[in-house]
Amino acid sequence: MQAVILAAGEGTRLRPLTLSRPKALVPVANTPILKYVIDALLANGIREIIVVVGYRKEHVIRYLNESNLPVRVVYQENQLGTAHALRCAEPYLQDRFLLLAGDNYIDAASIARIMNERNAILVTDHPSPTNFGVVIEREGLVREIREKPTTPDSRIVSTGVYALDRSFFKYAVGPEVPHAIQAMIRDGGRVVPVQAVDWQDAINPWDLLELNSKLLGRIDAQRAGTISRSSKLYGLIRIGKGSEIGPNTYIHGPVVIGEACTIGPNCVIMPNTSIGSRVTIEPLSYVAHSLVMDDVVIGSHSRVIDAVVGEGCRLADHTATWTAESVFEREKEGFQKASFGAVLGDRVCSAPFTILKNCIIGNNASIQAGNSTVTGVIPDDAVVI
Amino acid sequence: MCGIVGYIGFRSAASVIVEGLQKLEYRGYDSFGVATNNPRIDVYKCEGKISEKAQAAQRLHGSIGVGHTRWATHGVPSDRNAHPHLDCTGRIAVVHNGIIENYAALTRELEERGHRFRSETDTEVVAHLIEEYYRGDLVAAVRQAIARLKGSYALLVTAEGHEEIVAARDSSPLVLGIGDQELFAASDVTPLLGYTERVVYLEDGDLATLDREGWHVYRADTPVRREIEHVSWDVETVRKGGFRHYMLKEIFEQPKVFYDTLHGITPESLPERYRRPSEITVVACGSSYHAGLVFKYLCESTCRIPVRAELGSEFKYFTPPLKGIVMVITQSGETADTLAALKKAKAYNCPTLAITNVLGSSVTRIADHTLYMRAGPEISVAATKSFVAQLAVLMQLVNLMSPKNDFAESLERANSAIEEVLLQDISRAVEICRPAQHLFYVGRGLFYPIALEGALKMKEISYIHAEGYAAGELKHGPFALLSEETPVVALCSPGDTYSIMLSNIKEMKARNAPIIGIGARGDRELIDIVDVFIPIPECHELVQMISTSVLLQLLAYQTAVALDRDVDQPRNLAKSVTVE
Repeated sequence: MQAVILAAGEGTRLRPLTLSRPKALVPVANTPILKYVIDALLANGIREIIVVVGYRKEHVIRYLNESNLPVRVVYQENQLGTAHALRCAEPYLQDRFLLLAGDNYIDAASIARIMNERNAILVTDHPSPTNFGVVIEREGLVREIREKPTTPDSRIVSTGVYALDRSFFKYAVGPEVPHAIQAMIRDGGRVVPVQAVDWQDAINPWDLLELNSKLLGRIDAQRAGTISRSSKLYGLIRIGKGSEIGPNTYIHGPVVIGEACTIGPNCVIMPNTSIGSRVTIEPLSYVAHSLVMDDVVIGSHSRVIDAVVGEGCRLADHTATWTAESVFEREKEGFQKASFGAVLGDRVCSAPFTILKNCIIGNNASIQAGNSTVTGVIPDDAVVI
Repeated sequence: MCGIVGYIGFRSAASVIVEGLQKLEYRGYDSFGVATNNPRIDVYKCEGKISEKAQAAQRLHGSIGVGHTRWATHGVPSDRNAHPHLDCTGRIAVVHNGIIENYAALTRELEERGHRFRSETDTEVVAHLIEEYYRGDLVAAVRQAIARLKGSYALLVTAEGHEEIVAARDSSPLVLGIGDQELFAASDVTPLLGYTERVVYLEDGDLATLDREGWHVYRADTPVRREIEHVSWDVETVRKGGFRHYMLKEIFEQPKVFYDTLHGITPESLPERYRRPSEITVVACGSSYHAGLVFKYLCESTCRIPVRAELGSEFKYFTPPLKGIVMVITQSGETADTLAALKKAKAYNCPTLAITNVLGSSVTRIADHTLYMRAGPEISVAATKSFVAQLAVLMQLVNLMSPKNDFAESLERANSAIEEVLLQDISRAVEICRPAQHLFYVGRGLFYPIALEGALKMKEISYIHAEGYAAGELKHGPFALLSEETPVVALCSPGDTYSIMLSNIKEMKARNAPIIGIGARGDRELIDIVDVFIPIPECHELVQMISTSVLLQLLAYQTAVALDRDVDQPRNLAKSVTVE
């Protein structure tokens, strides 16, 4: 059995987090989404995996190499849609294959359900189907896929996971896979809907927090590094090699902490928090329900809650997030109401005593005005004075 | 990283294994070994490259065997530490890729029970552990042994009186090759290609047996089914891991390499007698020499110790210093000119210090003390990650000699700055370089050696004539060459040299030379005067220097690709220059 994973697209809806990595490499519970997809395939004995790379391909390839994952890499030079990406893998496909998105979480049980079908779509019920391809099914067969309809007739949506065979390439001539499926159905092809067991997409950057919380529940516990005897650790916790947990630090799982981090003394890490590698959390800081990526520094006396903190951010002392709800205008998505603390792109710097109130801050932005409250959307490379 | 190969079939096992190990050399090449089972266990192992010592190994008889190519991280490469490792009786042979974390405790336990260890490796404990549990059933003994191991491993075991190979893996790669009347096992598919396209990927926790009848996979003691898959890959694709060129692969490894090398040098790495030398003479060739020049600037300004930087090939015409130390830098540890210089320094009784990437290489045996880069095997002829690793070692060295400095903390974040550089879109700069016949690279202070290194990268892989100059030197001659057809890459980062660089750039601009300016992000003044501006992260001068260096590697790489050059094997050049 072969599988094609599409990891060539940027995932623009997740901006600003996709400047330095495609969405497939965004870490959730310290593991890129792509890795969950590969693991689900491997768990079902599917070993012939082709990953289509494009946007920031060097980063994807480097990740695959570092993790020793046995996959073949295929390039899609220009991002011309999912069907085009699939066509890039065509020379390597023999007969039946699975097609998956590298940037949606999928579990092994779902793969087990669909892998033996010939033409099938993995579907799931979703409360807000308008963001997806809505699947219209009748008499046990898929009749139509409607891409992001404004008034959906069904709550059943496509997960972007398909079981197909080479005859599909006859229809995959346009840019997108759903159109090709549509063409196949019109041509009399039988496509079966298969209910997913567990599948989740993070559409907007703040959705990562929910996915993070969910996947943190499945980590393997580990206590590597140096943990002070006067620190207190409860629940499911994974601490990587070389990390130091200072005295009087309180960690309540599920929490994952990467390698070579320095945390504490006197810090509090509350549930549903993932902390990348080489992160420093200075004394007397509090982090809860957050996704903190690699190489971040959180200054002392800070309070980070409901936040996504991109790679290499440097938050000065007394930085605080403030969870609130407001409406954001998102590219392609229109207006979205969302409640969270902060979403910080990569390498954001904040001055001491900054308050981040329900804001999205672009990559490399610098909040130089100390003692200020930032709200709304700050673009990439901005300097706030 | 190491590579392992096993074979059972009708051919000469030693030949198949040696050939397979050569294909795995990209995983490590400082020592290797083969054991065959005929049915006595015969072993050949030695330090050094497989290509040089293949013949001796191939003389082993038998059609069952295991082999290993090593990249030492702990325990020097030596004949003794090379795999395969044997138990006390010499009847059980083991090859291993990975790290056994609890080997020290296991070794103690086994020594108390009378086992005698011969090597300094973590692997040998596995052989003794299997011996300890062996009651006539090799599979059962291996199963009991691996239950005791903590860490990562891919293991191949063969034993006297057993026409089989037992394989096991946990967190290290291992793949079986299924041929006609023959079976293979290896770290990746490269050694199999050419013999079979049918492979079985083992999973973590799997134990497999390969014998004359066929192959079986078990988890604990339950047999499990594993699908046979067909691979149609070619060797080069596997080894490059998906990258088009080794050079690009190695460029992208640099954030990790810099970080690991920086942390690999600890206060214990440098003995007290090297801490306050009265003077230092650095001897090196090529890119290593440029790293040496960086060290000169840095060490003289930070530690106030006079530093001479000399080319290896020229050093024989100079008298070594009467007092002070001689330090040599060589990636391969085999550079002939550098070795000659080192021997000369020894003859003059100078304390010597070597910096290299290859454990156990010639330089490490001659020098009094060695510091290691943690770059891993570098395959591309053009040095990239080894240069950055050299800078990391040299900066830590300065840090150890003068702990009161302003950069140690900044270096901790350098990996992040390199990552940022790797994201840069430099296509406009490539467009300027591609059609050029001549290029100038100019910088001042710390950026002068970086200009030299940038020009070297450009000429060696793109074949464009590129020259690095100290910016102030242009006026003493090369200025006559400037025209609209000689683009200049100007390194102009904030710092002591910034304002004078700006006026140099204006002077060059006045001669119509197109300028590619590299400076701190958002530097309006520079952006306004240059033709193409490439930003690097705003940070400590040393980190800017490293970032600039990585950027210039990318510029050379992308220009060479645009010109359709053979990036990894440029004409007339060899990776390691072992003749004078």
